[in-house]
Amino acid sequence: MKRNYTGCAICDSTWGNLWEEVEGERMFFCCSTCVVQFRRLVERIEKETGWSRIESLEIAGDRRGRTCVARSGPETIRARVMFDPEGELLRFEKLAPPPT
Amino acid sequence: MTKCPACLLALGEGDYPGLATHLVERADASDPAHVRWLNQNLTRKKTEPTDLVPALHRIYDLGPGGIKPWIKSRFIARFFGKVPHPFVAALQHPSRATLLGYVVEHQHFLRQWVRSCSFIMARTDRSKVVLYELDNLNTEFGGFGPSRVSHYELLLRMGESLGVSREEVLSTDPLPATRRAIEGWNEIATREHWVSALAAMHSLELIANRNLVAEGASVHYFDPSILEGSEIGVAAKNFLREGYEADVLHSEEARPRGRMCPGTRPARRGAVHVLAVDRPVRRLSDRPPGTRGPV
Repeated sequence: MKRNYTGCAICDSTWGNLWEEVEGERMFFCCSTCVVQFRRLVERIEKETGWSRIESLEIAGDRRGRTCVARSGPETIRARVMFDPEGELLRFEKLAPPPT
Repeated sequence: MTKCPACLLALGEGDYPGLATHLVERADASDPAHVRWLNQNLTRKKTEPTDLVPALHRIYDLGPGGIKPWIKSRFIARFFGKVPHPFVAALQHPSRATLLGYVVEHQHFLRQWVRSCSFIMARTDRSKVVLYELDNLNTEFGGFGPSRVSHYELLLRMGESLGVSREEVLSTDPLPATRRAIEGWNEIATREHWVSALAAMHSLELIANRNLVAEGASVHYFDPSILEGSEIGVAAKNFLREGYEADVLHSEEARPRGRMCPGTRPARRGAVHVLAVDRPVRRLSDRPPGTRGPV
């Protein structure tokens, strides 16, 4: 999965030392909360789209709210997401896709 | 004494190098609380302890105004900044679900409030502090008779007006984040100097202090116009109005360097605790509206 962050897959932090496998790929996370967030985000995107695989995922924003753009082949989904303190998905609001 | 803002580990006074080393060690272990504090307060970029020390000095430097503006400015930044806290945003024009979430979680907070203030009274040597806490406890929990009931009673009445009995509210367990917050406040009240506890607990009342807008807050705790129209019910108005009026006095009066506090050192620790418990406070408030109870 192509990502825009080089640090933690959710927040881009380079603190921590946690490596977890997600979608068959070992990814770096700063903490266990971010692992849960990322897993829930991927699950929700796949549920919303029916995709078997996310090819790329771009995340922006901070703890007060993030937006994400996921792509698979020619398809794109964009959403605003929020997580609870345990990392579970609180909100997933689909947004208009980004201009191509 | 310097305390870790994430876990309250005690270090020597002014031992910022020790604090930096501790934070980095815990972050290397991917401890969520320490990583989160570093991410949100210092930097998201992994940094050597020695390079964190100047930033820690900057954070804890009270500046020329002393601790009072120090607490306020940080509180405003946390809750009333350019992007307000999600709960503050939701409370501007609250849905029924938001108010119900407030009821079922806040009742746990008010019960802990009694315990915390009682510890302060038990430990202080100042009768002014005891009288202050007694008045506060009556305002918050005991009430002053049928003509002036407590915030706790007003909260339960708000729940009833929204269709949830007080029995159901009182039998509802706190969310994990609420439980953690309460444990944190209890730890402060039972372990720390009473001035620290006083500062930590009563600084939280800044949340409803309507004067903060004049000091840089982007919004009030809620849009005051909701107290006038028909957007929310009478019981909700009564609850919100009471806090809106009482907490200005409580939060201004009890903070350090006020008449009741003998010095700033323990108070400063208390203020640091406010930041330390900010995460659970936020967790308390981050409760998703409408995830419990009928909506």
